[in-house]
Amino acid sequence: MRKRIYYWTASEHINKPVIADTVLNTGVKINILKAKVEPQEAFLILELIGSKETIEKALDYLSKFGEVEEISKVIKRDLEKCVHCGCCLTQCPIDAIYMDEEYNVVFKEDECVGCKNCMKACPFKAIEIIE
Amino acid sequence: MKTIQEINEKIKKGEAVVVTAEEMIKIVEEEGVKKAADYVDVVTTGTFGAMCSSGVFINFGHSDPPIKMLKIYLNNVEAYGGLAAVDAYIGATQPNEDPDVDIDYGGAHVIEDLVRGKEIELYAEGYTTDCYPRKDVNVKITLDDVNQAIMVNPRNGYQTYAAATNSRDEKIYTYMGVLLPEYSNVHYSGAGQLNPLQNDYDPETKSFNTIGIGTRIFLGGGIGYVIGEGTQHNPPFGTLMVKGDLKQMDPKFIRAATMPKYGSTLYIGLGIPIPVLNEKIAERCAIRDEDIEVPIYDYGTPRRDRPLIAKTNYKVLRSGKITLRVNIEGREVEKTVKTGSVSSYKMAREVAETLKKWILDGKFLLSERVDTLGRAENKPMKSPITLVRDILSKPPITAQRNISIMEAAKILIKHNINHLPIVDEQGRLVGIITSWDIAKALAQNKKTIEEIMTRNVVTAYEDEPVDHVAVKMSKYNISGVPVVDNYRRVVGVVTSEDISRLFGGKK
Repeated sequence: MRKRIYYWTASEHINKPVIADTVLNTGVKINILKAKVEPQEAFLILELIGSKETIEKALDYLSKFGEVEEISKVIKRDLEKCVHCGCCLTQCPIDAIYMDEEYNVVFKEDECVGCKNCMKACPFKAIEIIE
Repeated sequence: MKTIQEINEKIKKGEAVVVTAEEMIKIVEEEGVKKAADYVDVVTTGTFGAMCSSGVFINFGHSDPPIKMLKIYLNNVEAYGGLAAVDAYIGATQPNEDPDVDIDYGGAHVIEDLVRGKEIELYAEGYTTDCYPRKDVNVKITLDDVNQAIMVNPRNGYQTYAAATNSRDEKIYTYMGVLLPEYSNVHYSGAGQLNPLQNDYDPETKSFNTIGIGTRIFLGGGIGYVIGEGTQHNPPFGTLMVKGDLKQMDPKFIRAATMPKYGSTLYIGLGIPIPVLNEKIAERCAIRDEDIEVPIYDYGTPRRDRPLIAKTNYKVLRSGKITLRVNIEGREVEKTVKTGSVSSYKMAREVAETLKKWILDGKFLLSERVDTLGRAENKPMKSPITLVRDILSKPPITAQRNISIMEAAKILIKHNINHLPIVDEQGRLVGIITSWDIAKALAQNKKTIEEIMTRNVVTAYEDEPVDHVAVKMSKYNISGVPVVDNYRRVVGVVTSEDISRLFGGKK
């Protein structure tokens, strides 16, 4: 399974290989979707890939060094604004956007990695990335 | 054979058979053309896409004291005021006067806000005359406050819009959306089998079966009319000029958009009923996506005549994928890429369905055209062009990468130049040295050409317009670009001095 989280870690842990240790200690795979390091803290969006147990172990381990918040969605679409044109379709590097048989533009939200390419291409500003 | 009058009588009695163009395909397939022509009375069509060539005439009514408005702004977007005292035309693509807002809120957004009933700020200036003593006016208005708001769109409802791809090694931002580098996507626009003009076209005569001046249509959720052929009308790339009352329109079918880094535009729902008067019309109304040829052009070439990359059809485009044979760095390769639509087929369907419902409800009667569409013509502008080859100084001065910095400096001085392309044994470009790089080498005590040369060189081609080279030089903040052939062999250099000379007079 996959689980996406926001992760904040305080400045005293920034120079420690927390992510690498998590991988080594728990066997979970981690995909770093976003990392922003500031003087007082670091903020990351992480995707954890593994079994239910390893992911739980990884969350426990990460919690020792910072704060974890689960995210169910990275991408938010305003369906009032979206006209289902399809300008975003070709911009998605992981095929998380497609057009269904009824010509609706569909977002597979749980696969989104938050690259923002679709957001930048939308003529209606209908797509928001949850930061 | 039926007449429009007979069909209208049936509509009034609630007996008309009305189907969408999609439904007509099935009916003709299953029942045959003859039967379909007999029992179907009207086929409704629809399209919903970016229609840049759109705008609204507004009459604001007179202020007290009156003003002759000349410079007119609606929510800071300029409207054209070279008309009578309180008339203006606001075009969909007009950017905002505020450079920070620019295309994010343009003419199209003003039009959508008016349709949504939102308050708009009107600011206008004029010159005083004996009967118009007022110099400026600044008020808030809504669509209800103005006398007329008449949408008049010079070019809407393209019959077939060509698809777009991009040969360049960078993303480009076009009215066809964001086109990825090296032909990595194809964007297309148009409702294909639902398109009004496609369903009414007679390929033999290159004219339209029923659509003409006076045809009553669905425009933006209200009732509108075809008032003639659109600009650049040239079947099978026909276009329409249409009008409608903005006060009747529905914000669902009038949607402002901004093509990223390109401009604002208006998405409009446009639908036309086609009376099935005979078999010929019925047959055409059964046209399918796979029957409509769509050319794909390379928007990466900054020229009017863009290279044709392939020919396809709407069925392939709508499948989400297409295989192209393209030339990348001199090699012919087959590439399967994603396709994306710029217009909305879902909304086009909704237009056709809504129009169908109006007719079935007896709210919308068909009109007889008073004349056919006018002259077809779409020729290029007579305009001068200067290509890179016209200003190129030959022969090119280049150097190999094993020369010393001192030797490079000597070459620059000897030829009185600032740019020295570095080439390999075959004369192919590998880097560039400028006089600035030499100064930097001296300051930082660098020893070899390899250490100081720029490897990622911005280049130009001989058949590229000079205007485009100027844009590149400005974008990358550089003062010269090597000109290369298809094998990346250096054939010359264009510098900002060469371009200044074009404007400064001395050749």
